[in-house]
Amino acid sequence: MQAIKLLFAKGPSLGVRLLVFATLSVALMAVDARLDTLQPIRDRLGMLVTPFYGIAGLPERLWSGVTQQFSSRSELLAENEKLKAETLLMQRRLQRLAALTEQNVRLRELLNSAALVDDRVLVAELIGVDPNPYTHRLLIDKGERDGVFLGQPVLDARGLMGQVVEVLPYTARVLLLTDSTHSIPVQVNRNGLRAIASGTGNPERLELRYVADTADIKAGDLLVSSGLGQRFPAGYPVATVDEVIRDSGQPFAIVRAIPTAALNRSRYLLLVFSDRRTPEERANDSALAQEQADRQLAEEKKEQGEAASSKPVTPVQQGAQKKPGVQETPRGAGR
Amino acid sequence: MSAKTGNGWVIWLSFGIGLLLSIVPMPEFLQVGRPLWLALLISYWTLYLPHRVGMTNAWLLGLVVDVLNGTLLGQNALVLVLVSFLVQLLQQRLRIFPTWQQSLVLLVVFGLTQLVQLWLYVLAGNRPPPTLLFLLPALVSALLWPWLFAALRSIRLRLRIN
Repeated sequence: MQAIKLLFAKGPSLGVRLLVFATLSVALMAVDARLDTLQPIRDRLGMLVTPFYGIAGLPERLWSGVTQQFSSRSELLAENEKLKAETLLMQRRLQRLAALTEQNVRLRELLNSAALVDDRVLVAELIGVDPNPYTHRLLIDKGERDGVFLGQPVLDARGLMGQVVEVLPYTARVLLLTDSTHSIPVQVNRNGLRAIASGTGNPERLELRYVADTADIKAGDLLVSSGLGQRFPAGYPVATVDEVIRDSGQPFAIVRAIPTAALNRSRYLLLVFSDRRTPEERANDSALAQEQADRQLAEEKKEQGEAASSKPVTPVQQGAQKKPGVQETPRGAGR
Repeated sequence: MSAKTGNGWVIWLSFGIGLLLSIVPMPEFLQVGRPLWLALLISYWTLYLPHRVGMTNAWLLGLVVDVLNGTLLGQNALVLVLVSFLVQLLQQRLRIFPTWQQSLVLLVVFGLTQLVQLWLYVLAGNRPPPTLLFLLPALVSALLWPWLFAALRSIRLRLRIN
């Protein structure tokens, strides 16, 4: 009877309910877009995300497991061969890199610059892709508990991929370079020309905005991050220029580029922890660390001397032992 | 009446499966036409069990979708509430229509809600490509309706969900 009544229930209640829910939704959206007050709730609900994406990704993982199980021996051999060749190439590059890094460090010492050569990285695995085809976002399996922070740069083996835009307790969302809301400051590796690479919504295309018609840029140029936005570390490859269209009727050239990172194929990503201190702070910190290390060394030497030699150490000897440590401090400070 | 009110968990199970289907990774070309699983489920349950599933359920479900997709809280909630509202508004006609005619009406309903979705999406600061492709999910969902209707109907009758 009740069901029948409800079946024919009609009147203002429907419209009123819609109004209530619509108002609630709009208010929520406005608060969520402008303020941070909903972040704790989002975090708590975010616990849902991991298991759901885990189950949703299960078929794909099963399929890849099955294909691995049944891939033929010849295929594996071929892949092995390819990987070996690749390793060889990489090792050759690494050999050169070691020498270059050393040279770089020495030159930086000469320049009295404390810029870091290497950044610390954390490997993350892709666990989900945004279901909306017009946004390019990924879900990764590292979150706040692993030290991931908002705006953190994300790389794959070939270049920059994007940045972290949402941090949940155990997962994080990464906005890719090619999303239509994303832009990154870059420079041409060949001559240092600066530009801004904006996403187009096409996973294989970036566009350089406001490049002068006469600018020295051509197809094949490598674009690297310039580090000017203070968000991405400088010097990582971003894209290669695909075509440059110069139309004298237009104020700017149209420059299209292809991202070097495999944005829609990479399964493992690198989260970069670059140093956010200023050069002065870094110099100070390294000087302090050097001083501490020297003091420790001196103390160790003293202890060793006391323990090894049964004869009493004269104050003169102690002073002589300490001196090198004291002298070393200013040298360390310069580094 | 009250003796038959068991098996309500099936409704929630269907929503759970719908949530999974809406985030399952798919190839690029299929993603553009991903069916609106949750809108379909909400339509069915609102139409045939209006005393169990209504706008409140749709709204709560929408919030979960928002959290899963990382969209603004309330965006998908509003869209699903709208689906529930339109279906409830048309329920007296929809219930006596043959299935293909229901499909046609739902095509319009889903098309409208997709339009609202696009509008909210642009308000949130995105620049989607200027195509009519955003209506494709509505079309796919309307084409899926007869099959989903048959499946859910047989489940509903067999398990006597009421």
